Amino acid sequence: MKTEIEKITILPGVNKFEEKEKFERIEIKKGEIVAIVGQTGAGKSQLLYDIERLAQGDTKSKRVILINDKRVDKKLRFDPKRKLIASLAQSMNFLTDISVKDFLSLHLKARGKRFNPKLIKEVIEEANEITGEPISPEMNLLNLSGGQSRALMISDVANVSISPIILIDEIENAGIDKEKAMQILAEEGKIVLIVTHDPVLAFNTDKRIVVKNGGIVKILKTTLKEKGIGHYFNWVGNYGLEIREKIRGGEKVEKVEIFCEPVK
Amino acid sequence: MKFVIFAGTPGSGKTSVIKYAIQELKTDFKLFFAKFDCLNTKDDQFISERYKIPVVKKLAGELCPDHYTALEIPKIIKENRDKDIIILETAGLCLRCSPYIKEGLGINVLDVISGSPDCYGPILTQADIVAVSKGDLISQAEREIFRDNILSVNSQAKLVEVNGLTGEGVIDIVEAIKASPEIKTGKLTLKHSMPSAICGYCYGNKTIDETAVQQRYLKGKELKNLVPNLNCGKCGFKSCNEFIRAVLDGKAKKEQCLFIKQEKN
Repeated sequence: MKTEIEKITILPGVNKFEEKEKFERIEIKKGEIVAIVGQTGAGKSQLLYDIERLAQGDTKSKRVILINDKRVDKKLRFDPKRKLIASLAQSMNFLTDISVKDFLSLHLKARGKRFNPKLIKEVIEEANEITGEPISPEMNLLNLSGGQSRALMISDVANVSISPIILIDEIENAGIDKEKAMQILAEEGKIVLIVTHDPVLAFNTDKRIVVKNGGIVKILKTTLKEKGIGHYFNWVGNYGLEIREKIRGGEKVEKVEIFCEPVK
Repeated sequence: MKFVIFAGTPGSGKTSVIKYAIQELKTDFKLFFAKFDCLNTKDDQFISERYKIPVVKKLAGELCPDHYTALEIPKIIKENRDKDIIILETAGLCLRCSPYIKEGLGINVLDVISGSPDCYGPILTQADIVAVSKGDLISQAEREIFRDNILSVNSQAKLVEVNGLTGEGVIDIVEAIKASPEIKTGKLTLKHSMPSAICGYCYGNKTIDETAVQQRYLKGKELKNLVPNLNCGKCGFKSCNEFIRAVLDGKAKKEQCLFIKQEKN
């Protein structure tokens, strides 16, 4: 049975000093992308963790997470095959010695799905839209470059895990087209929460939750101006990717072509 | 009284998980912590200083650490009747055995980068809870595959992802400990039998030689029939087996065992 998620709601808990958080409720609707920002140790990962385990006042922060305005039953919280949440952690390296193709079929199996060559092809194709250097199905996971690993992982989370909620904890993002990556992750009305201070990712959102001393202190709506700034930085980044490929290919690069498409 | 056994390979994060569990449990329950290891450990000291709960250190030395644990469990229970929860951390080494008991709760702390789950024996397959540690070192997809592999060898286990650095996930273990059955007075049973210890090497033989090992075994067996097998420690050795080895090595005299001495008189 698949649970259709319309929105998740965060009810206030307490900060590090046991003071109640000063907000009524935070609602995140289907299709929204939300950034979580704050200093190191401010409690960003704790907030992600609360959402990941669908906290019911039983974590350090005492927050309660509702799904479609309702409390969540235990089965849903622990059964991996019904897991509503996929997450991309800080570590974006693979450790398994196996080909890309076999790895994806293993992951399909772990998710309780049947072997599906068409889907595997799609995952790789989509990953190749995010990275500059194409991945082929026969490549060994351990031989992928950093950019390729990240691209594959993102495409895998989007296409194999297919969870309605995606949590991203400060992913390393060198060597990938970040806007494209977010597009792929957020498609089809998913909810995406991302801990980041990268301007491209933080501004490519609907709002930002600001965390301080373990508590949520502010919610900022991402302005059009900020979105423009983010977009500009993404263009610079992607242009960098093109130049990287040229360097890899042994070419000379002596001029910058300035062309940045406006925000759609 | 509840009895909780943590097992896992060295460095898997047992002590970190235990640390957070004790932190959560110590206000509401009277705890006791027993740390088993082979040669050396300071975890007992660390736990006692940090959490101010009574602890004991047990070093297996010459004995197989799982045998030694099983031998010591009744003593620990007897001496701690007033406690609510006894937490025991094992050395967990060769993966042949599992130290879990049917009447208590067995928790395997399993590190995601420690290799394929099907290489683990009863330490994993007979655990009630598998606490998967260091998940932050690998990707979500690999974590899900790892999880699936664990369930393929132990489908009954409750899987909990834990982070030994931040304590995330330990809350689920604490809940399981609270919900675990009380140990009634009476028999405790091992979930898995110990390996057969029936050769001269078990009595400390070192020369790799058929005759030598056979002779050593016969001599060891003879002594084994004489000692009380109570591991009373009055001979100065931790267990009867260790005493027998010392006698065979010429490091102790038979008569050091009070029972053998009495029999003679």
